[in-house]
Amino acid sequence: MARYVTQRIIYMIITLFLIATATFFLMKLLPGTPFNLEDKLTAAQKAALYEEYGLNDPLPVQYANYIFGLVQGDMGISFQFDNRKVEDLIMSRIGPSAQLGFQSLVLGTLLGLILGLISALKRNTGYDYTSNVIAILGISIPSFVFAGLLQYTFGVKLGILPVSFWDSFKHTILPTIALAIFPLATVQRFLRTEMLEVLGSDYIELARAKGLKNSVVTYKHALRNALIPVITIMGPMVVGLMTGSLVIEKIFAIPGIGEQFVRSIQMNDYSMIMGTTMFFSVLFVVVILIVDLLYVVVDPRIRLTGGKE
Amino acid sequence: MKKTKWSLLLVLGLVLSMFLAACGGGDEGADDNQADDNNTGEQTDNNTDNEGNNNGGETGGDEEKVLRMTEAAEIPTMDPSLATDAVALNFIHATYEGLYRVAPGGELVSGIAKKDETEVSDDGLIWTFHLREDAKWSNGEPVTAHDFVYSWQRIIDPETKSQYGPYFFGGLVKNATEISATDDDGNPLYPDMYGKVEELGVKALDDYTLQVELINPAPYFGSFAAFPVFVPLNKDFVEAQGENFALEVENMLFNGPYVMTEWKHEESWTLVKNENYWDKANVGLDRIEVSVVKDRATAVNLFETGEIDRVGISGDFIDKYKTSPFFSTELEPVVFYLQFNRLSAEKADLMNNKNFRLALAQGFNKQDFIDVVYGNSSVPADGLVPADFVKHPETGEDWRDINGSLLASDIEAAQEAWAKAKEELGFDEVTISFISGDTETGKLITEFFKNEWEKNLPGLTLELKNVPFKERLRLQREQLFEVVFSGWGPDFLDPMTFMDLFVTDGSYNDGAYSNDQVDELITKAKTEYATDPNKRWEAMLEAEKIMMDEVAIGPVFQRARSFLTQPYVKNMKLNPFGPDYSFKYITIEK
Repeated sequence: MARYVTQRIIYMIITLFLIATATFFLMKLLPGTPFNLEDKLTAAQKAALYEEYGLNDPLPVQYANYIFGLVQGDMGISFQFDNRKVEDLIMSRIGPSAQLGFQSLVLGTLLGLILGLISALKRNTGYDYTSNVIAILGISIPSFVFAGLLQYTFGVKLGILPVSFWDSFKHTILPTIALAIFPLATVQRFLRTEMLEVLGSDYIELARAKGLKNSVVTYKHALRNALIPVITIMGPMVVGLMTGSLVIEKIFAIPGIGEQFVRSIQMNDYSMIMGTTMFFSVLFVVVILIVDLLYVVVDPRIRLTGGKE
Repeated sequence: MKKTKWSLLLVLGLVLSMFLAACGGGDEGADDNQADDNNTGEQTDNNTDNEGNNNGGETGGDEEKVLRMTEAAEIPTMDPSLATDAVALNFIHATYEGLYRVAPGGELVSGIAKKDETEVSDDGLIWTFHLREDAKWSNGEPVTAHDFVYSWQRIIDPETKSQYGPYFFGGLVKNATEISATDDDGNPLYPDMYGKVEELGVKALDDYTLQVELINPAPYFGSFAAFPVFVPLNKDFVEAQGENFALEVENMLFNGPYVMTEWKHEESWTLVKNENYWDKANVGLDRIEVSVVKDRATAVNLFETGEIDRVGISGDFIDKYKTSPFFSTELEPVVFYLQFNRLSAEKADLMNNKNFRLALAQGFNKQDFIDVVYGNSSVPADGLVPADFVKHPETGEDWRDINGSLLASDIEAAQEAWAKAKEELGFDEVTISFISGDTETGKLITEFFKNEWEKNLPGLTLELKNVPFKERLRLQREQLFEVVFSGWGPDFLDPMTFMDLFVTDGSYNDGAYSNDQVDELITKAKTEYATDPNKRWEAMLEAEKIMMDEVAIGPVFQRARSFLTQPYVKNMKLNPFGPDYSFKYITIEK
């Protein structure tokens, strides 16, 4: 077990290094520069700025400098926000994104599981149809439409919830619902399909033949197995939700990380692009490792070490 | 086996919850504080509603005058030397005060310097500013001429990396270029002088007298005296803060009408009236609350629920609110125009033909262009200098009213000119290239011109080049085009910021327009007439007439912005130059 985890961590470091390298060189292909007054600057002034930020060095030198800094935990200074450290900027914005992500993950997954179960157990009934319609709407309505609708209905027309901002718990309700609709729909669809398949399999027949109670069959034997694909999709979903949704953050004026990431790309804020990319990547590989380890817990058939020990 | 698995799950769960706690923990604390702040805010608002009348700009009145607004972006920097964008300039102008200040409508008024006492030498090169002696920093220290000297030296110091400093002062203030200029590889052009900021032509004659030495007369130097980048800085304070200067509220020292008391990065900031400001009695607001809202629809919803007092609107919202009593439109002094490339490798003979250019400049409807491409309240431009920008120094008449409409849309006239051009040049069909940005708007622009010109001017084919911004600049600078759509906003409050764009070999004269008469008039305005406002204006007015008569460029439109504003907000008008608003004069009258 320990050996497996160590091995995985080494692979993770290699992966992260490759991501850093690819991002660095792709980013340098972006047209434009990080400086606002490009149009009005003289060549000389531009040269001075480039020199100052080390953009005049040959690419390999810039690359080596960057990787060296990264290893030491130094992500550099943001171009758009003078003198602010990238790591500080990321940490100051991850809070709201993580809270929003966590709330909508819990809400969306719970509701998704409930709807998925209902659908599977009451297949082809009114319950099933209703649940499916909710899931399909959730997948197909763009989140900016849904969020705008929520904002307008509850914020402007009814006036019972705040239109935007990130102040109290009350302020988190609308964005949480808006963001939860995606995990809800995804989990519902996966669980329904998987449950139907599992319920038709031989070992469920056997369990029933043994005379086990219906609830034990459903929850102990069927549900646990049906959860495996759900766990698989949960990994990327957790990262996606925790790192924020650009659209939701923008509409509800939430100071989160998702919007910052997109803006850093638009502004050619090189150090910020690298910083956020690396942050997301670390989060992603860690979550994937956790998901892999979770499989062992949920499904006795899966073994990590391939039985060599 | 089973036991280990469950313990593994437990460990994973713990790790995950620690991670979540770490992310959410500090934040919850902040939430609580914020909720409290909010309650206080609401209570104050209620008081305001109940009490009705107020007594003008007096301090000590019972109700708190609070302006609530949104910005679409975070303040990138509160370091005046480094500011480049509208948001930063806006709030630096609110919290600092330079020699002069911009009043609503764009008029320059006394700031730290007493404007009426400013002396300019006969040759226009030496400016002497007399500073008021009662101005204080927010820590109580006096604001002196040395603070300006320090700030201006800091701006021009290559170490500071200011963008606006060298751009504005280079070639204007004595030695500014020598101290800051480098070649394309970053090597100093004047190694002996490079970085020697003490050589800059700005001196403190005594604590309250500042003298500036220029290398060319600049009657518009007052604009720089009011520009937020050139405010004073307290040397002791700035140096004590080092790299942290202006990063957080506690790292800032102000001398303007307001002080920043809270700055939640990328979320909100609060300004309150500066108790140490010399003209405290005339500061219109007690508090300014700004939130970052990037989504336009959200900002409009906040206005609808009464949570903010003013919001900028565009696109569909203009149609929706056009008839609303809160709706207003304000012109910006930003003009967009067509440049015709006389140095085009293949089509130079066409582009040098006046009738050919005239046909292009008049052969489309400018209002249709605005409606199709921008759908906002912009107005057609029929000259180079925008309306509502500069007024005659003596009569006070707007430039645009004096010179009037010089080059308006006229499709019939365009077709006549087109027929003449065909005759003179002997062509029947022709293809020219048109460059514009590769953005959504850039594409709409090129498509509009292709449609209109090809319809109105038979035989013309437009080859569209939609390229990224940087590439467009390169094509423009290297003159690889026939027509380009570009624009200009003012650097200072004087027609010259537009008028010298198209002199022979001007940096932004991409169409290589050249006219001896215009060159002479502009040179005269800059030298001989520099100290005679009347003659100077006459020369520039005349130059614009010649340029429009010759179709030097094809003016298209002047940009406007639309707003929804609560009626109790007074004096909140866009400035024609520099910061968007003059917060000192904005007030609330409920």
